[in-house]
Amino acid sequence: MRALALIVISMCTALAPAAAAAQDAAELRKQIEELQKQLDAVTDRLRKLEAQPPPPAPAGAPTPTTAPAAQAQPPAAATPSAMDVVRPRQPFGLYQQRGAGQLLFDIGITGDFVGNLTQRNVEKAQGGTFSGQENRFFPREVELSLFGQIDPYASAVVRIEAGEEARGQETPISLAEANVTLLTLPYGTQAKFGQMRNRFGYSNEVHEHDLAWVDRPNVMRNFFGPEGLVEKGMEATLVPDLPFYVEALFGLFNGDNETAFGRGSLQNPLYTGRVRTFFEIGDAHGLQVGMSVAGGTNEDKLSTTILGWEGRYKYRPDGWLHPLLTVTGEGLYSMRKAPVGVDTDQDGIVDRVDKRSRNHSGWYTAVEVQPFRRWAGGFRYDWSQYPSNPGWEWAIEPYVTFWPSEFLRFRLAYKHTDRSPQTREAFNLNGGSARLVDELLFQGTFILGAHPAHPF
Amino acid sequence: MRRVILLLITALVVSAASAPGASAADKIRVVATIPDLKALAEEVGGKLVDVEALARGNQNAHELEIRPSLMLKLRRADILLENGLDLDTWAEVVVQGANNPNIARGAPGRVDVSRGIQVLEVPSTRVDRSMGDVHPLGNPHYSLDPGMAPIVTQNIVDAFARFAPDRRADFERNRQTFLSRLDEAMARWTQTMAPFKGSKVVVYHPQWIYLLTRFGLSQAATLEDRPGIPATPAHLTRIIRQMKEEQIKVIVVEPWNDMKLAGRVADEAGAKAIVLASMVGGVKGADSYIAAIDHNVNALAQALR
Repeated sequence: MRALALIVISMCTALAPAAAAAQDAAELRKQIEELQKQLDAVTDRLRKLEAQPPPPAPAGAPTPTTAPAAQAQPPAAATPSAMDVVRPRQPFGLYQQRGAGQLLFDIGITGDFVGNLTQRNVEKAQGGTFSGQENRFFPREVELSLFGQIDPYASAVVRIEAGEEARGQETPISLAEANVTLLTLPYGTQAKFGQMRNRFGYSNEVHEHDLAWVDRPNVMRNFFGPEGLVEKGMEATLVPDLPFYVEALFGLFNGDNETAFGRGSLQNPLYTGRVRTFFEIGDAHGLQVGMSVAGGTNEDKLSTTILGWEGRYKYRPDGWLHPLLTVTGEGLYSMRKAPVGVDTDQDGIVDRVDKRSRNHSGWYTAVEVQPFRRWAGGFRYDWSQYPSNPGWEWAIEPYVTFWPSEFLRFRLAYKHTDRSPQTREAFNLNGGSARLVDELLFQGTFILGAHPAHPF
Repeated sequence: MRRVILLLITALVVSAASAPGASAADKIRVVATIPDLKALAEEVGGKLVDVEALARGNQNAHELEIRPSLMLKLRRADILLENGLDLDTWAEVVVQGANNPNIARGAPGRVDVSRGIQVLEVPSTRVDRSMGDVHPLGNPHYSLDPGMAPIVTQNIVDAFARFAPDRRADFERNRQTFLSRLDEAMARWTQTMAPFKGSKVVVYHPQWIYLLTRFGLSQAATLEDRPGIPATPAHLTRIIRQMKEEQIKVIVVEPWNDMKLAGRVADEAGAKAIVLASMVGGVKGADSYIAAIDHNVNALAQALR
């Protein structure tokens, strides 16, 4: 009996998968038949659609005004087969074609090469405009820009750059900017978040290769460092619906800039603000003026506030392709709290630490004349104190610019810098001296691919 | 300082919300990148629209100075009409400064009126900038051909009707009225240009191909070495020789280009340099679409005579 039961169980065990397989096959057959039916329905629908007459031409399009070229119809796109219709598609592709072989975003590369010649003692002291790179020709900024729409609501910019920062070292690659702009906010507002060049004054937002001069103005370098103010955080702008143009900006950032702030924390954030407006006197004259503020905490855990004023005037005679005269100016005023040791009893020992405000300022003005489309000449005058050290410097930089085409530019400049005697200690490295600096500067810049138009 | 900034921002927000034009206006506020589109939009929209242009007629529409005053024009726009085909890419920078979601890329108010145009001079080979400032999508100056107006105005009607569906019939009626006038003018222009069919002309910048093709003329050469690249003396010498050999009588110049240079070349070649309206308002009297084409046809015919 036990043996019989075992045989029955064994048979059942052996037959069960076969029965299940048969059931699966029947199920599959049913599904294939179902799919076949769907395929037939789609094919039938396609045939019907193809058989329909084309839609009527828009009413009122008169035949005499139809262009001869328009009469030649473009070749019809190949009709998709039924399999093309039902075949699964890739939901997202990085490279998809738009029109005549374009990407879904724009790509541009700019190369900015700089050379400078100066005195040996300036090189020793590393007191030239490009500190540590005196008497060298080097790639200052080679930048890959990717920009475009993310979706209907936002656009993005990513800039990756490489530049030689010191002689004999490899060229590091870094993220220059990566930010998203929300374009569809209400009440004339727009928001941007990520890493960005801050819209503080006129020149800070401008990349090195787009500046009207070989180097960033002295006051901007002294107050914000050689790269200018580049921060991570968010900015919001408001353009109110007024009869004249006003843009107000508010920003909140980490405060990573080591020269002016440096706490690098949202616990002690850097806030920025800017208001700018524009006056147009006829079609030929345009004047933009603005005021900016940046306030945060410096490395001494004390506050720093920097105020900025800007002005930019352009005169473009009617019908000219370029401005004949451009005048630009910016001024900065820094209020930096710093700890100062006080020796109350004159015994040579600091008795207490006071917080003192060190207020310093600087400004520049630049004039450019462009009588011909391909040639421009001008000069920049700089005067600046140092935000942390005593003393001041002034500089004058005449230059000439030549554009063989819109995408290639050469610039030659001479720069004379004169630093006050108090600053000598700050520029006497390695036994050199950089109190008086004379430099011959050369710049070659190219653009490959897309490059957005420049604002005013 | 923080208080001052906060107060300022608050004041601006309040003024933005309470500004008199901020509520719905009676007319559709339209901004066109170039005056030709402004003129056509006015014909279609009539009294139902208020149209402004960003570029002026005597400017080079390829490269416009991005002034904040242009952003102000777009600040309240319901619709932005773009020429497209990479002519007015600068408009994107203006839009970004205007903080107006109605005309952000992809919004219904952002309209590329080149849709449906049979584009000429579309590169059939790989292009790069060694060829100058080429347009990879083809020549964008289709608005100079009155034969393209039916397509452009149809696109404008569709754009306006998306914004005001109940006024579609009005827009269509305006369009038909305009096209009737254009038809009459077209008959006149065709007759005027008929004797010059097959004539060759030299142009300063290659932006006249649509107009020339319309009336059976051909472009023999350009004064620019390549698009956007100034002529070299050797190139000009070649042009002068070609003009003499082929008995070319006319150099067509844009209002924004170097008329003196064109005049010198024309003198050397025994030809005439004439300024045509590269856009509505480009020359005196060309203050409507039909008037601009009128000027161009008459000036061309007179010079070819």
